[in-house]
Amino acid sequence: MIQVIIDGKTCAAEEGEILLAVARRNGIDIPSFCYEEALAPYGACRMCLVEVVKGGREGITTSCTLQVTEGLDVLTESPEIIRLRKALLELYLAQAPRSESIRALAARYGVTRTRFTKKTVRDDPLQNRCILCGLCVRVCRDVMGVGAINYIGRGQFTEINTPFFEENETCQGCGACAEVCPTGAIAIEDIAPNRIMKSWSGTKVPLKTCQSCGRYFAPSPFVDNTLEKLDTALKAALQDLCPDCKRKEMTRQAILLSTGTPLPMK
Amino acid sequence: MGLATCGIAAGGDKVFAALKNALSQRNLQVLLTRTGCIGYCREEPLVSIHLPGKSLIILHRVAETDAEKIVEAVAAETVPQDLALCRVEEWDPIVGEKLVFGTGFEDIPVYDEIPYFAPQRKIVLRDAGLINPEEIEEYIAVGGYSALHKALTAMTPEEVIEEVIASGLRGRGGGGFPTGMKWNFTKQEKSLQKYIICNADEGDPGAYMNRNEMESDPHMILEGMLIGAYAIGAREGVIYVRAEYPLAIQRLTRAIAQARDYGLIGKNIFGTDFSFELTIAEGAGAFVCGEETALIASIEGKTGRPRPRPPFPAQKGLWGMPTNINNVETWTNIPVIIQKGGAWFSRIGGEKNSGTKVFSLVGEVQRVGLVEVPLGTPIQTLVYDVGNGGIEGRKIKAVQTGGPSGGCIPASLFDTPMDYEHLTAVGSIMGSGGVVVMDELTSMVDTARFFIGFTNEESCGKCVPCREGLKHMLMLLDKILVGKATESDMATLEELSGVIKKTSLCGLGQTAPNPVLTTLKYFRNEYDAYLKGVP
Repeated sequence: MIQVIIDGKTCAAEEGEILLAVARRNGIDIPSFCYEEALAPYGACRMCLVEVVKGGREGITTSCTLQVTEGLDVLTESPEIIRLRKALLELYLAQAPRSESIRALAARYGVTRTRFTKKTVRDDPLQNRCILCGLCVRVCRDVMGVGAINYIGRGQFTEINTPFFEENETCQGCGACAEVCPTGAIAIEDIAPNRIMKSWSGTKVPLKTCQSCGRYFAPSPFVDNTLEKLDTALKAALQDLCPDCKRKEMTRQAILLSTGTPLPMK
Repeated sequence: MGLATCGIAAGGDKVFAALKNALSQRNLQVLLTRTGCIGYCREEPLVSIHLPGKSLIILHRVAETDAEKIVEAVAAETVPQDLALCRVEEWDPIVGEKLVFGTGFEDIPVYDEIPYFAPQRKIVLRDAGLINPEEIEEYIAVGGYSALHKALTAMTPEEVIEEVIASGLRGRGGGGFPTGMKWNFTKQEKSLQKYIICNADEGDPGAYMNRNEMESDPHMILEGMLIGAYAIGAREGVIYVRAEYPLAIQRLTRAIAQARDYGLIGKNIFGTDFSFELTIAEGAGAFVCGEETALIASIEGKTGRPRPRPPFPAQKGLWGMPTNINNVETWTNIPVIIQKGGAWFSRIGGEKNSGTKVFSLVGEVQRVGLVEVPLGTPIQTLVYDVGNGGIEGRKIKAVQTGGPSGGCIPASLFDTPMDYEHLTAVGSIMGSGGVVVMDELTSMVDTARFFIGFTNEESCGKCVPCREGLKHMLMLLDKILVGKATESDMATLEELSGVIKKTSLCGLGQTAPNPVLTTLKYFRNEYDAYLKGVP
């Protein structure tokens, strides 16, 4: 273990840990949009900038890419950091004018309006909320192993969607993209018998019906792919039951077991 | 016949065909061959004639219709004096023995007396315009691959790196990082596989140094890379060339094939246990791929987007392996350093700025072309001595160095030495060597707008300050240019420039506002004029 100083507070950390994670563990909230523990540091949103005062390359850097070393001394809210963060938030307010989370964070820094021209796209699949942090792209590719969406175009014309803006058959409908999205930009709706990925070119993913109660409970390819990864016994026990019926079934089996009744074959 | 892209653009290929045709009608013992470009673009097409024992005569502004006259003169063992630019009696290709052409034609001025060439010192462009870049034997004839032989047979990898460190050579792509130190980083990494890369993704508007280096003398790049690979311990290399340079790609491809035929690429080079493979990867048109992490992503088939460093490519580069990347021009200096020694090299140029730099002198200046001068040469030497000042006597207002990442330097600061530190001190950068001259008719606000337009277009879109910030800078500049901007718009523009510089992820964004910041600093009056309406 080593010791690092964040805003004057001494914090214990493992050598090489990401500073942003160390800070959050110690109750110091550095804002960020593109950081996610499960993914490799990306450094795109620039919100987590901190100022290294001592013990490293002095100056301003992103804390999501900063690996801690003994004696590192950083400030997360120096006047310069606050000045830069406010300016970046103004850029975000102009880019994603409909995002409540951006507005809330900006307000926390006293930024309630932007000097920059607001971008509004008619019928934007991402509801004028996307800030291109890339979490959805990365979680889909690097965590789910699917890669149904990616960046399209370059620079200010970058957008995120499925290839050729067509319905994408690799999408499993898991919704991890929407889960990690920091601005709530991704719209998903279940309209039986499909899950509609409204933001992803209306990709339709069939929903699975519970064998017991008959209701739709999860996207079919996602369930099938997940079950692939389980051992056969567990797979047989779980198959095609919605979470409620599964709980019921498990409980029933537990009771039967405790009373010594042999389990009926399913 | 000078037939690099510039020569061809000036009509050189037509002259070449006419010469070929004229020669075919006579029974003369003449070798007509292609060379690269000696750098005097304004005077192209250039034809050099060498008669046995006589000075090499460089003819300029040669037209298709001159072919007959030239061949007739050659048949009479003379040259058409009215087309002559200068004569070269001998030439130092640096790594090899002096080339002695001969004497004669005394009334034609010597090369060194031509104001365009006089302040120049050719080390990188040592063979450019003199040898046929498509024939490996011509390169070998001027001492080519002798430095590689020396390194492989008489030096340890450590000694090679020591020599490069002693030379003081710094990265010619613009960063200016000491090359020897950079090599050492990759060398010290423990890995079974290491790569070296030649960055030939030259993309600055108005810059074409690397293009000419590749088109005029491709083997010197190969030789530099081979020496570097030996020193670093890499067995594979990649040259990343922009697809917009088809002739350079063609000549490099040919050079690699020839080097392989001669056993200079492949297994057990010069009978040693050093083996090396070299391939070419073509860019797909993105400026940002000149940034090393984006370049690596592009070679790997991914979208060309930079990633944060560390890890540096020296630790985790191509395919996750330790990788050393240098610019074309950096590699070209290596054979010289090995052959002449680091100490010899370090005596050229200025303090901490050893060697020469090739600049492309373009814009509103009389003599445009590629100019190689020792580092530390003042801007005025380039603009007034080499370039001969403004067109039609117009006053020169500023130069823009370093491409879109550089800044505009006003004429009052033209005594600034062109080296890494001094250019940074005046708010610009050395960059890869583009020098765009602007005269009194040029609007500096419009110039700044041009460069922001360029970087805005080329921003990869990954980080918010560069992607969104440059977009808003462009909108503000447009507002200024139509005379609708206010003082507060100016303040926003200035503040935003600083924010983008400080918060961007990679070098593109970190330097993109420089044209605006320097024009605001040195030409504020031009912006102020626009605030009162379009001047």
